[in-house]
Amino acid sequence: MLLRQWVAALILIAVGAFTVSAQNAGEVEKGRQLFLGMCSRCHGAEGGGGEGPSLTRLTRAHNDEELSAIIRNGIPDRGMPRIRRFSDAELGQMVGFVHSLGGAAGGAITGKPENGRALYQRLGCQSCHIVAGEGGDFGPELTTIGARRAPDYLRQSITDPGAALPRGAPVPGRGFNEFLPVKVVTGDGREVNGVRVNEDSFTIQVKDAGNKLYSFRKADVKQLDKLFGKSMMPDYKARVSAAELEDVVAYLSGLGSGPGDSK
Amino acid sequence: MKQVLWFALAFSYATADAQVPYERIAGADSEPSTWVTYSGNYQAQRFSLLSQINRQNVSQLKPTWVYQMRNPGIVETSPIVAEGVMYITEPPSTATALDVRTGRPLWTYTPSIPSDVIIIGSPPVNRGVAILDNTVFLGTVNCHLIALDAKTGIVRWDIVVDDNKKGYYITAAPLAINGKLIIGVSGAETGIRGFIDAYDPKTGKRLWRTWTVPGKGEPGAESWGGDSAVHGGGSTWVTGSYDPELNLIYWGTGNPAPDWNDDTRPGDNLYTCSLVALDANTGKIKWHFQFTPHDVHDWDATEVPILFNAQVNGRARKIVSMANRNGFFYVLDRQTGEFLSATPYIKQNWTDGIDAKGRPFARRDADPKVAGTLVYPAIAGGANWYSPSYSPTTGLFYQAAREMGGVYFKGDAEYKDGTAYTGGGGEGKNGDDAYGAIRALEGTTGKLRWEFRLVTPPMAGVLSTAGGLVFAGAEEGNFFALDAGNGKPLWELQLGAAIRASAMSFAMDGKQQVAIAAGSSLFVFGLP
Repeated sequence: MLLRQWVAALILIAVGAFTVSAQNAGEVEKGRQLFLGMCSRCHGAEGGGGEGPSLTRLTRAHNDEELSAIIRNGIPDRGMPRIRRFSDAELGQMVGFVHSLGGAAGGAITGKPENGRALYQRLGCQSCHIVAGEGGDFGPELTTIGARRAPDYLRQSITDPGAALPRGAPVPGRGFNEFLPVKVVTGDGREVNGVRVNEDSFTIQVKDAGNKLYSFRKADVKQLDKLFGKSMMPDYKARVSAAELEDVVAYLSGLGSGPGDSK
Repeated sequence: MKQVLWFALAFSYATADAQVPYERIAGADSEPSTWVTYSGNYQAQRFSLLSQINRQNVSQLKPTWVYQMRNPGIVETSPIVAEGVMYITEPPSTATALDVRTGRPLWTYTPSIPSDVIIIGSPPVNRGVAILDNTVFLGTVNCHLIALDAKTGIVRWDIVVDDNKKGYYITAAPLAINGKLIIGVSGAETGIRGFIDAYDPKTGKRLWRTWTVPGKGEPGAESWGGDSAVHGGGSTWVTGSYDPELNLIYWGTGNPAPDWNDDTRPGDNLYTCSLVALDANTGKIKWHFQFTPHDVHDWDATEVPILFNAQVNGRARKIVSMANRNGFFYVLDRQTGEFLSATPYIKQNWTDGIDAKGRPFARRDADPKVAGTLVYPAIAGGANWYSPSYSPTTGLFYQAAREMGGVYFKGDAEYKDGTAYTGGGGEGKNGDDAYGAIRALEGTTGKLRWEFRLVTPPMAGVLSTAGGLVFAGAEEGNFFALDAGNGKPLWELQLGAAIRASAMSFAMDGKQQVAIAAGSSLFVFGLP
């Protein structure tokens, strides 16, 4: 009827207890279809992860009920939307499909995390990224990145950072690209290059590579270019070897994915 | 002597009694300092004849007062102002009277809402009250209609419109006409059978009910497969318009149920996604026009139908117009329902066009699928419940347009009383993939005259004024005024939370004011 976009899905009342065991292949296949539609954009068609984490090894959901609750309620602070439109049967099919996932889709981790950690320092990544409270704050925090992004996505973000900007934080708004590079030419001809911090229809807030914050009224600027497909992060494709890349991916994949390996 | 005194007292009571008689609502345009019906006048133009705030001075606009709601929740209220009092609603179903000079509450009434109230298909919102004589009327989320004394908020009567256990609920403001109170219901997402009701404002007695989905053997029943009409949806959750001369009520109807799974309901599914013109005396459907036959995208036609008179192809026409959720702007003859034109006002790809009678060539490859189908517009549509505006001065129809595609999913649908009966869902391509605009369309053709771009599809209405202004709101909280002639921004203020309401205007102590809700607050603006 109305406002689906705003409430993410239907407000369902009284979700009864349900039992999930989509044992037969037909049910799992139905779950796969649902998954392709609702989940694959972030978790990958085979559940191996991407912008969202791999579902081949579930770290938060220890049983069907916990997995169902995550699907129903989402994980708001991690960008996972709640999905409330499923019937109990559909939810069961989805849970069954997620449980059927296995293997190493989403990218295997072949590098050595300790080498990757050293390389991370040597490349100066910490000048823009915070891990466990330390580092610069121009780019996204990486403290728990291993729990939130699959190896393939991390690999791509190092070799082709503009291909997939982070999305979905509460600021600047649901579904907006974060760290979107913008070029602003002010009324008096000054050029400011930086990333968008926030934006509305009349104003835009930008921070530059020196981490200086600017606030512009759009009516006052001569030019405003949003550089979709680009990132302020340098492309490291030519600066690391294939083996080094795997080491960094291994290091990042370990961040936040389990106790004792978050640093 | 005593008898004379009693007579005098009774007479003075009777005079005070009729604060806002029907004649004042019908003549709303001659009294622009008030705002006595949901959209400002029966034509639903949301146009203020006040011109004190105008293109020259709007840049000086300042807050006059701010009222903060008691309860959290989305505020969609459109205030009523009469006799120095502003009547608003707060989520979910509270009515409050404010001193229009200061914003101080005079009374507030909160009905008792059961904790197991069923509200499926929208947030628990309310869009406003109606006023007639000395009574204010409120619809509630547990599907009651309540008459409150305008001076005190004391209940005059409280009736059940229909059974909330089956999913019926009310978010719309009632429409008060001569001796009748018209109300529509929400609930198509639970498979209700929709209707529009008329009640006696004095007693709460139902005068007529017009079903929006026909019963067995009734005209239109053949447009539903099997028994699907029984839970066919067609809710009526946005206040319509009224032509006193023709004595016709114009009201939009919502989606068929289940929304996205059409397996059980082959056919056009009358009268869902339609505009119905009802004889106000009997409720009889004089004509209907179905914008989206056999809808599978949840594109309710519950947008505000605006009435105006104009020349179309050299002929004087009484027009009813609607920027429909399906992406087209429609112009119909409101006497006969004759289709005059339909023009897309946003990007759409669900149809290859509209035929000479107004029927779309719907593309079946745009139907929802289990794995999803990308279609423009998204579920919330190019327009939605929030009000458009028509300015008789410029002849332009002002619409807050939503440019967004969405992925539509088909899912299971099984009817059970009071549970979701939707058969799927959708996901909007939001963020940087979407945008919005305030668009000025020629009222008789839908041709785009100008637009003002917004970074996000809006969910807030538009007010136009005789001061040559268009007021509108943005999802990011900007409340702003545009030049009604060319769309240039003239004033803007950040209100700090999403605007999900429609602005209105009134005057107090001879000074024009503009009111808008944002977040959990109601703001009133005037010149210093």
